[in-house]
Amino acid sequence: MNSVRKYWAIFQITLINSLAYPGELIGRSLMIIPFMWIFYQLWKVTFAASGSDVIGDLTLRDTLWYLMLAETIELGRPPLARTISENVKDGSIAYILNKPYDFLLYHFSTAMGETVFRAVMNAVFGGAVIWWLVGAPAHPEGFLVALPAVFGAWILHFCIMAMIGLLAFVFEDVSAFMWIFQKFAFILGGMLIPLDFYPSWLQVIAKLLPFSSMIYGPARLFVTPSLSMFVNVMSLQVVWITVLGLLLTLAYRRGITQLTVNGG
Amino acid sequence: MLKELKFLLAVWKANLLSVMEYRVAFLTQVIGMMVNNFIYFAIWIIFFDRFKDVRGWGINDMYVTFGVLASAFGLVSLLFGNAFNLSDIIAKGRLDYYLSMPRPVLLHTIASRSIASGMGDFSYGFISYAMSGQFTWDGLLRFILATLLAAVVFAAFLILIQSLAFWLGMMSNFSQLALNAMLTFGIYPITLFDNYAKLILFTIIPAALMGAVPAEFITQFTWQTLAELLAGAVAFLSIAVTVFQLGLKRYESGSGIQIEV
Repeated sequence: MNSVRKYWAIFQITLINSLAYPGELIGRSLMIIPFMWIFYQLWKVTFAASGSDVIGDLTLRDTLWYLMLAETIELGRPPLARTISENVKDGSIAYILNKPYDFLLYHFSTAMGETVFRAVMNAVFGGAVIWWLVGAPAHPEGFLVALPAVFGAWILHFCIMAMIGLLAFVFEDVSAFMWIFQKFAFILGGMLIPLDFYPSWLQVIAKLLPFSSMIYGPARLFVTPSLSMFVNVMSLQVVWITVLGLLLTLAYRRGITQLTVNGG
Repeated sequence: MLKELKFLLAVWKANLLSVMEYRVAFLTQVIGMMVNNFIYFAIWIIFFDRFKDVRGWGINDMYVTFGVLASAFGLVSLLFGNAFNLSDIIAKGRLDYYLSMPRPVLLHTIASRSIASGMGDFSYGFISYAMSGQFTWDGLLRFILATLLAAVVFAAFLILIQSLAFWLGMMSNFSQLALNAMLTFGIYPITLFDNYAKLILFTIIPAALMGAVPAEFITQFTWQTLAELLAGAVAFLSIAVTVFQLGLKRYESGSGIQIEV
């Protein structure tokens, strides 16, 4: 119980800290506005050209609210891999290791603390723009249904980003891994195009991979909530969180045996 | 002029030697960025495979637009890497170092850093053009010219936006927002936008001069598109340099000791 309280306190401190510079928080969140506007232009033209109100079970309104949540999840995430790789490269990992908390859980708590308000602000600005352009979401209750899946998506993201950060034990620079992971998340996660619009063979593959649990699952659950979809999305997330969580723990244990810090 | 060119070449040579110091990191970034661009572009392949075209804009147009935009972005990253964080340099008083040198302040500042991944973007642009199905040798010459002009527009836009730090102080979020808007609008089909939006894309956020117009110039040469590109590059560069010079008159810094590496 004590240990939960410890990480809860770290989470709270980071959360409050993220409010210290409201201008920066708002400024960063404004980025979602041009994205939403351009998505509206693209999909309005695409739906009109297709001559149908529904593509892949989604209407124009569903598609745009889907993209709003997908962007919110993506833009809300802190640059965790960079932080961890810097910790490894500059030796500051040693400072965290000699404290009475676990390195990975410490970073998880701080990452969550940084994420919450960023995501809320993105949802507010992105939601306002989409509401103005296409109206309210067809299933407003979907937002509550999708919340556990959004949380699951952040845990999955943490596992992968922490693993990329730990690659700094082996590589001098991990930026390339970050870019490539991000683009895989874009394409196989359904970040810019809902997976329902993909060719069937690619849909099958993409929906089984962890990327879809990080973006597509929560966003689709938001626009077309149902019990069966909730069960599907959450079960797949649990499987991937277990697998990636184990891999992360192994990678961390292996990495830490190679750590050498000189000076102080 | 020749003196400044020699100076620039010397700075770029030093930058190149600097980024090559860590060869594995350099190669990882270059190759990583090319792979990154390829994966990103796959989204457009999927999109156009399903929806064929957007008001007459097809996948081949996207290859050329993406190519010229990537090469122009890469060129600026590689040769004028500090243009991306000029506002930080201004706001943190790091211009002191450049002001104490007998070289043009703006040129020296922005050319003093190379972003290694820019080489990946620059190279990928050519590959993208080659894959467009519209490759011709005279088209390649136009691609090179269009990349240079688009790079001038892009560098000028970065200088212009980031020079606002002389008046506004720290503004990294705003400059990041402007950069994202420029790249996002530059890569999307121009046919999506109505006339008002197009006016914005030629003026406030000149993304059309970095993506759609250079792409049109490459695929079907007209004197009009060349004139648009030249006029845009000259106009934006003049405005950017003027705003920087005006801002420089307001520049002040504390007594912080800065080390330039």
